[in-house]
Amino acid sequence: MIVTRSWLNEWIDLEGITTKDLCKTFNSIGLEVDKLQSYDIPKKIVFGKVLECEKHPDADKLNVCKVDIGTSIRQIVCGASNVREGLNVVVATIGAVMPTGLAIKPVKLRGIESEGMICSASEIGLPDFMDGIIELDESVRKVRLGDEVKGHSLFSDDLIEIELTANRGDCLSIRGVARDLSAAYNRPLKDAVVNTNEDKRVGIGRILNLSHDKNYHVNLRYKAVDLKNLTLPFIVKLRLSQIEETRDSDILSLMLYSTHSSGVILRAYKHSFFKKEDETIAKIDLAECEKGFACIYSTDKKKASMVGIIQEDVSLVDVDEGIILIEASYIPPEIISRQMQESKIKSGPLYYKTSRGSEPELNRGLDCCMQMLEINSASDIYGGVIELCDKYENVVISITKDEIDEIIGYSIDKVEITKILKNLGFDTSKSQGDSFVISVPRYRHDIKNKQDIVEEIVRLVGIDNIPSKPFEFQEENRLGDDYFWYKKRKTYRYKAADIGFFESIHFVFDEKKILNSYGFETLVEQKDLLNPIVNTLDTLRPTLLTGMLKAASLNVKNGYSCIKLFEVGSVFDKERNESVKMTMLASGTQTADSLANSGKPVKVDFGYFVQKVTDIIGEFDLVETKTTHQLSHTYQSATVIQSGVVVGELFRLHPSVQNDYDLDITYLCELDFEKLPCSLKIAKESSKYQASQRDLSVIMPKSMKYAQVKSVIDEVKTDEIVSFKPVDIYSDEKLADEMSLTIRFTLQRDDKTLQEEDITSSINNILDALQSKLQIGLR
Amino acid sequence: MKKWYDAINNATSVDAIEEIRISIFGKKGILAVEFAKMKEAPNEEKSKIAKELNTQKSALMHELTSKKMELQTKELELAMKQEGLDVSLFSASSEVGALHPVMETMDRIVEYFASLNFAVKTGKMVEDDFHNFEALNLPKYHPARDMQDTFYFRDEMLLRTHTSPVQIRTMMAQKPPIRMIAPGTVFRRDYDLTHTPMFHQIEGLLVDKKGKVSFANLKFILEDFLKYMFGEVEVRFRPSFFPFTEPSAEADISCVFCKGDGCRVCSHTGWLEVLGCGIVDPNVFEAVKYKDVSGYAFGLGVERFAMLIHQIGDLRSLFEGDIKLLEQFR
Repeated sequence: MIVTRSWLNEWIDLEGITTKDLCKTFNSIGLEVDKLQSYDIPKKIVFGKVLECEKHPDADKLNVCKVDIGTSIRQIVCGASNVREGLNVVVATIGAVMPTGLAIKPVKLRGIESEGMICSASEIGLPDFMDGIIELDESVRKVRLGDEVKGHSLFSDDLIEIELTANRGDCLSIRGVARDLSAAYNRPLKDAVVNTNEDKRVGIGRILNLSHDKNYHVNLRYKAVDLKNLTLPFIVKLRLSQIEETRDSDILSLMLYSTHSSGVILRAYKHSFFKKEDETIAKIDLAECEKGFACIYSTDKKKASMVGIIQEDVSLVDVDEGIILIEASYIPPEIISRQMQESKIKSGPLYYKTSRGSEPELNRGLDCCMQMLEINSASDIYGGVIELCDKYENVVISITKDEIDEIIGYSIDKVEITKILKNLGFDTSKSQGDSFVISVPRYRHDIKNKQDIVEEIVRLVGIDNIPSKPFEFQEENRLGDDYFWYKKRKTYRYKAADIGFFESIHFVFDEKKILNSYGFETLVEQKDLLNPIVNTLDTLRPTLLTGMLKAASLNVKNGYSCIKLFEVGSVFDKERNESVKMTMLASGTQTADSLANSGKPVKVDFGYFVQKVTDIIGEFDLVETKTTHQLSHTYQSATVIQSGVVVGELFRLHPSVQNDYDLDITYLCELDFEKLPCSLKIAKESSKYQASQRDLSVIMPKSMKYAQVKSVIDEVKTDEIVSFKPVDIYSDEKLADEMSLTIRFTLQRDDKTLQEEDITSSINNILDALQSKLQIGLR
Repeated sequence: MKKWYDAINNATSVDAIEEIRISIFGKKGILAVEFAKMKEAPNEEKSKIAKELNTQKSALMHELTSKKMELQTKELELAMKQEGLDVSLFSASSEVGALHPVMETMDRIVEYFASLNFAVKTGKMVEDDFHNFEALNLPKYHPARDMQDTFYFRDEMLLRTHTSPVQIRTMMAQKPPIRMIAPGTVFRRDYDLTHTPMFHQIEGLLVDKKGKVSFANLKFILEDFLKYMFGEVEVRFRPSFFPFTEPSAEADISCVFCKGDGCRVCSHTGWLEVLGCGIVDPNVFEAVKYKDVSGYAFGLGVERFAMLIHQIGDLRSLFEGDIKLLEQFR
């Protein structure tokens, strides 16, 4: 909503209030100032009058004018096509410096002296809304020849753009904003008194007739005008350009101006649209259209408009003369917006105002419009109105002072409360003692309950004037499951960051086509996104892996060769069930290049990545498994198992996918976050006796997996063996298709120090088993 | 004797000193020889000779010891010089990772409210119309729905546009009093320089007996919270509009960049809008079937907080896993 200071001043006296103060007040009463623009007209630009105007003897397009600038009469050469004798103009006199920096000096134009410049709107820094030079008229009041334009409030105006919240349709007009200010400043609203010479006029009943088939929640009021010689006043042209609106014809511009000023929705119709050629009386029929909206029809059932929504082109007034009907309408916003939500139809330019709540006092808009027509045209206005009103009773809200104080947490004076409510146009005359009975005017359709009333009081008192107070509460343990879930996430995130991974966040949206091409299942059709924002984010992600790859790729482009990232985030299965995954990626080198690695850092490998993941989530086993998707290297992919539970997968990125994303060697691990351990650790009692170690090197075929060896050992090992792990792999030409695997055993007992023979027997036991079950033995 | 003093002074190594020591003080050293000669001296002179010899002995010993120390120091110095390094070569880059500034900011916010005895509550991202809109006093035709462009699914479910559904679900599941925050990911159909279709929010809710919770209470905690997050800033409240609160307000802080003088970031107003809040609308309590209660609620965007606190200019870079940005948070 755009307002200007001078326009507001027509509805409320702003004398003594600076624009800065005005903006502060707007913000404090909840009308947020989005933009402030001040028009600063340079000095020495004055009002003048063209006394004489003659063609330049040596130039076709130039005129030589004698211009009265109050103090003297100057000769000025002017090139504008609209310059003519008798015109009231704006003149830049000698010494003026224009906004462009141009200094006005006496010059000779084609041999003729020129002492100044007659200005166009854009030349003095106003919006460019008129062709040629500015033509002033009576709408610009209090103008004296020679006065500086700078001193005139219409020109040196301030334009304030207000961002209105959705509930404040009542402030979608200059008068509405002024009404709120009147409560804030405790100054009365200036409602213009309109003179009407109703007696001498031909009554509207002679040419218009309104019928309706049933009661609608619609207010309509019509005036009829025989339009003649309309000239759009300067002030209307200027202000419409300031609010960045234009209309094709002068009459439509005039009505738009009246609507913006008063808040009443106004439309103009051709009188002829509603009557047969041979008749004089037009008939307007209010009826329901097939979609249930209240519509205006002609006698032959042609639709003229849908009330409050849109006007049909056929009924629009296209010339600025002849008999026209001017309609003011109101339709309750909650009714119209509900209807519109249900049947989506195209709406016209004024619908926004209607749906947010336009001004229900229809005569305010009509009066404004008629007055402008009387002054600026030779039109005949028909007497009286034809109208249709629905029954409406104001909302009445009762609230006590205590209730108000309780919600605010601070006591506000009763007199102050009454004053605020009255200035807002609320009727409080039925209040008694500390009980307020408040009748809410219709234009404040957003006020429905006690808290709405409190809100009005709070915003006009000013929130900053309410002292803060701590809340007193009862202690209670509020550390529930959700908190521990949050804490678990935090713990793992901190660990991953400490181990060297950067936390990243990606959209939960991803591209269906790409996900499917890598073998991921995405949402089933009937549960998929209806309105994705772009094609590349057209479904919900089933994995964090693709987001990780995109991020890694970006970092490669940015020149990074050591990339370690992780994310803890939500993914969705095809039935759209949400779960949380933790995903880690290591790509390129293990560290950045440095002196320590002679500038040649080692690349990440399987062992390195497993070590890093272990540092984050604790120890786990890997079981060779093919992944269900095609991102993994065929021979380097595994299931991650912790305490016998499958928690996720760990793999090297498939070389061709590596190429797709322009990556170096890359490893990924995706885990079901829920399955990661988070219970408190239980310490085991440790043996007081010495532990021994034994290495066992067995020769086995290269094709044999350690998992096989491990499972045999697990099966037969005695309690003395507390742990074992592979520590070396060796192969050479002599070993051919075989290799030597060294396994290190740690042996210990709780009740005694192990003797050499105990150890030997334990190890032999294992050797025998390996020999008999796998046919492998000592080197 | 002078010969020996010269020898000590001219010695160049600890080893040479040791040789000299043996020559003087050793069993066959010159002092032993001199003391042996004493036997032949007349008895009355013995004590005088012994005294002289002992003086000589301790003087030499002193000379020798100090020379030895001097040489030892020199040799150690030399040895250390050999081990000298160009320390300027060694400025290692950190090898730890870092938390994402948005998540880290979220952690800080959660920490504040958890320490004030707010429960942490979470919920699902896919929601239904009732919990995301209807119950929050946002019926279908409500104009405020325009403010929240929503992602819908084909089966009329939607991606939550705020974390408020968590509050509705909490209220429907438990009795008052309630004191909770809901941190989470939310979605709006908006994608440009200053909007991403996904972002993070934290909303807070406090519900207690009727008449117990006031606007003044809300102001108190938010003023304190904003100072905790941003340091010494001024806080102001402006009336605003949210369908689920009434009265509603927006809180601004004095611009952290220009200290309120006006700059590009604050659009020359000197203020930055940072959160929305208000007294819970009675319609919301009605939707969850709470009677005779009062409460306040507030909500904020975590990305905006993170960007203001860490002076991050580009919103989109937060969602790209960009190490250029992230490594600054190690």
